[in-house]
Amino acid sequence: MTEYLAGGTDLMERRLSGRSTGPIVDLYDRGLRSIETTGDGGFRIGAMVTVDTLATDPALTAAYPALALTAGALATPQIRRAATVGGVLLQRTRCRYYRNEHYECLKTGGEGCPARGNPGERAVVLDLGPCVAPHPSSVAMALLTYDAVAEIENRPSTPVAALYGDGARDHLLDPSDLLTAVTLPPPVEGERAGYKRAIGRASAEWPLAEAVAHLTVRDGVVTRAGVAVGGVAAVPLRLPEVEAALTGEAPSEELFARAARLDWTPAFPETAYKIGLTATLIGDVLAQAL
Amino acid sequence: MRLTFNGSPREHDPGPGDTAADVIRTAFGATGTKVSCGAGVCGACTILVDGEARVSCLLPAARLDGTEVTTVEGVGGDHPVQRAFVECDALQCGFCTPGFVTEAVAFHDRWRKDHEGTPFREEVADALTGHLCRCGAYENILTAVQEACAGTFDDREPVPARVEAPAKVTGAAEYTVDVTLPGMLHGVIVRSRLPHARVMVTFPDAPGGSASAPPPGKPSGVAGFVRLLHGDVVRYTGQPIAAVAAETPALARELAKTVTVDYVELPSVVDPEEARRDGAPVIFEDAAAQKSAPSSAEGAGFPARWRGNVRSGYASAWRGRTARRRLDAAEERNAPGYFAATFTTSGQSHTALEPHASVADWRPDGLTLYTSTQALPHLKAAAAKRWNPPKVEVVAHHVGGGFGAKLGLGTDAVAAVELSRKLGRPVRVAMSRAEELTDTGYRPGTRSELRMLGTPTGGLAAITLDVSGHGGVSTGSMVATLGLLMYGFGPRHVRDRDVIANAPPASPFRGPGGPPFAWAVEQGVDAIAHKLGADPLKLRRTWDGNRRRRALYEIAGDLPLWRDRPTAPQTGRYRRGVGAAAANWIYTADLDTKVELTVRDGRIVARTATQDIGTGVRTVIRNTIREVFPDADIVVELGHSDAPHGPVAGGSRSTASVGPAARDAAGKLAAHLGGKPVAEAEGTTVVGERPKDRRGSAVPVSMDHLRIGRGLAGAVHITEVEVDTLLGHTRVTRVWGGVAVGAIYNRAAALNQCEGGIVQGIGYALYEERLTDPRTGVVLSANLEDYRLPGVKDTPEMTIHFHEDGWDHVPGGGIGLGEVCTVSVAASVGNAVFNATGFRPLDLPIRPDRLLEGMPR
Repeated sequence: MTEYLAGGTDLMERRLSGRSTGPIVDLYDRGLRSIETTGDGGFRIGAMVTVDTLATDPALTAAYPALALTAGALATPQIRRAATVGGVLLQRTRCRYYRNEHYECLKTGGEGCPARGNPGERAVVLDLGPCVAPHPSSVAMALLTYDAVAEIENRPSTPVAALYGDGARDHLLDPSDLLTAVTLPPPVEGERAGYKRAIGRASAEWPLAEAVAHLTVRDGVVTRAGVAVGGVAAVPLRLPEVEAALTGEAPSEELFARAARLDWTPAFPETAYKIGLTATLIGDVLAQAL
Repeated sequence: MRLTFNGSPREHDPGPGDTAADVIRTAFGATGTKVSCGAGVCGACTILVDGEARVSCLLPAARLDGTEVTTVEGVGGDHPVQRAFVECDALQCGFCTPGFVTEAVAFHDRWRKDHEGTPFREEVADALTGHLCRCGAYENILTAVQEACAGTFDDREPVPARVEAPAKVTGAAEYTVDVTLPGMLHGVIVRSRLPHARVMVTFPDAPGGSASAPPPGKPSGVAGFVRLLHGDVVRYTGQPIAAVAAETPALARELAKTVTVDYVELPSVVDPEEARRDGAPVIFEDAAAQKSAPSSAEGAGFPARWRGNVRSGYASAWRGRTARRRLDAAEERNAPGYFAATFTTSGQSHTALEPHASVADWRPDGLTLYTSTQALPHLKAAAAKRWNPPKVEVVAHHVGGGFGAKLGLGTDAVAAVELSRKLGRPVRVAMSRAEELTDTGYRPGTRSELRMLGTPTGGLAAITLDVSGHGGVSTGSMVATLGLLMYGFGPRHVRDRDVIANAPPASPFRGPGGPPFAWAVEQGVDAIAHKLGADPLKLRRTWDGNRRRRALYEIAGDLPLWRDRPTAPQTGRYRRGVGAAAANWIYTADLDTKVELTVRDGRIVARTATQDIGTGVRTVIRNTIREVFPDADIVVELGHSDAPHGPVAGGSRSTASVGPAARDAAGKLAAHLGGKPVAEAEGTTVVGERPKDRRGSAVPVSMDHLRIGRGLAGAVHITEVEVDTLLGHTRVTRVWGGVAVGAIYNRAAALNQCEGGIVQGIGYALYEERLTDPRTGVVLSANLEDYRLPGVKDTPEMTIHFHEDGWDHVPGGGIGLGEVCTVSVAASVGNAVFNATGFRPLDLPIRPDRLLEGMPR
């Protein structure tokens, strides 16, 4: 299977571990690095723009603070300087079974899920099946809250949300599809944002759970809310019911606590703790965003 | 591609899969850039591409086209960051140093463009989060970068804190993985893919391990196979079966695929809790097989009885029946001083950033073995005994960390020697990170059943401790037995067991048995103090007869950190807690150590057959000689087995071995000179010996050069944590470490070690967890993403206090501290978490999910 090489932070590691063995098409000389404003005042971000740029570009950070905060908090400075927008959206799972050459699973071209019998505390809370590893893309999670759209070469554009959708694949594109850019609708004046991940160490760790939120408050009332979480399902997860509970209300700690309540049923006893953890994170990022 | 490499134009045609690190290290021969994790996690391979720091292990080589690349060699040697690293002792083993230096150079140059003054620690730490230092030298690294940014080293040469620092900050220090010999082949290991099986191994062309076949696609090249497995049974997934060498690593990997291993699967059991049950598949079927089990103990194991997979040592007891009777009675009447619990600890992987690696060069006149080892003199003897070549030289100029995992002839050394002997060419075998984290040893996991009865004033009334070690196929876990050395002579009954399972063997790890012992017993003391309403430090002082540690309790008890600890239950989201724990460790030395001094070119050259794994032993020798010859130019040459006998870096023995021997040598040289200047004695050689301790040793004979001396090293740790009770996150904020090892030979390196011991202890307490799949026996924590080492931002504020009295019977007045300084750290974290939350953590590591599940609601 041919694979595209973007920043290399995922693919090169899979080459070294023997998980990727097919031919490579290097996107280095394809451009795709521009950040443009669109006709309606939104932004078009080339697929080869780095995560570091998402986190630091003055125009982008002002326009989409939830995206910038998320990008700035993932991995390490070196990884952020190498990893690209296209790459982080279409990266492969970090499941420790998938990354281990001893195993085959449905994502390596084999069958079944060896992690299902030993999910551990890092697995999903919401079981979409068949894979039990959470989706790794923090940037995708943040883009969901902005209704971002992915441009695919020789194909109609598709919402970023529609790149994902089943628990069997890390994304729904064909191997030959090339994601060239992401477009975002016009920024909203006065929007504020929050991002937080729950990890064991202080930094540089894939999250047990993470949450991002942006809020726009006018005349003491939430007029627009975007809330999404990661680390809990095989897809990045937007939470429209939380957004709905916030919209039209006067922001307060009580409102946030009420809105962040999650009536999830844990798929595994090992990950039941993630429900309360995620609710806490949502409350925290809403407070940050106020 | 064309690029500018360290200031010079360079052309190279990279292969499609080549990484920048490959090209720089192999084609350009610039080995300052290190590869450690191979996954962009540790940052050791960081280079500057057009001034920007990048991990070169994940960077496709073709991306260097048209760029300006600077590696640590290209930084020069006089950059303020390098100078600061040299003077601030911002390194130990030095293997991560080139990566830290290049990243810090980029930060420094960027920061000073538009800042004056000193950057905040947090800002520096943020810039360095992509780097791991397993020795835990983060504190000094942060200080060094701050000093460099402040301009402290703009106009002056540094005073090196340790002898080899300039070589380590410039990439000049040569580690085993950097050794390349003319005609060198590359070896890889063929490993078992099943946890328990009978195997038949077939090499292509000629069965039985005697083949020497051409590698595929390269008929002119040399290649061959050797068998590594003794017998025909593999007992864990990842067990070495054979080794293959070819002209390049890629060819060797291809050739390895042509080795046929036919498996007849045998019943297996990976999980120790299942392995201990009646009816579990038995892994070592008879006495002969049991005898072949590897040991994770340092030195000889103790006798034991086998029953199924459980190997039980004989109990050690003083009035053991009294102990049990008292405990039963206390339990019956619910005595306030009674505490019982079952503690567990995860296996802990050493994770030295330089992997196990060897380059063997077998020639008709003898064997030269370059190897990453902490036991150079021992390996020389072991290699001579095993292969009996005309002569043996073992070389280890610099060693990128050991922590106990590099004490023996490892798979890398055995494979390299056997392949070189067979093929007549030098052979390099270096472990991948996955191999390193799977099959180079680890601290065994444990399950400890503890019962204790304490009294407020009368001491420890009774203790029983029964510990099962979980070291895979290895025996030799020794945890409970350490209970003979702590808290007086009250009635006690302790027993160690091994539960054998189909998992890779464990090995000694910095203070073997100590941290899991402290995890149980020091939390037990804390729990009893809490139940009795006593001050945990005062209670220890009452129970503990060790006068050196009693002095530490006094000092610790007066610290504001301790005095201001929370005493009432807390209710908020963020809770602060302070915990104390104590440790002791046996004192050992190699009394056969000799340090040779030669006057060469007007300089004093000191030699001994030992190695510096990052502890600063070169500097101990230099400092000691300098006391006698303050103005002389002193060179310390270590890392070569031709020198007079020196110590293994194990059992904290190095300092108390080489220090007194160096002093003896310096005294002899001074006597020889009789007041003349050093230069007038050109060519003179004297050999210093390690004088015996006054009033003898605890054990009057040495075992394999190791002598157990009189007295126990002591340590006390006071640790403060902040717990986010909603996210289950524990942050260690401050640690005070009191260490009683007598006179300190090299203050900077001693502080650095003690700080590193705290950082490693925090890793053990909170993050590090060795995970083995219970069905297949595959080690899942086989990369640095899933095996989580503490990072720069996990480093607390640390204060180290040295209590320097009490070791007058030892020549030089001081002993080693590498182990005692880490033993009680995790237990102090556990006690601090209890103090903060009211939740007594029984299982290591204290993961967020465990805290959230366990905390009272």
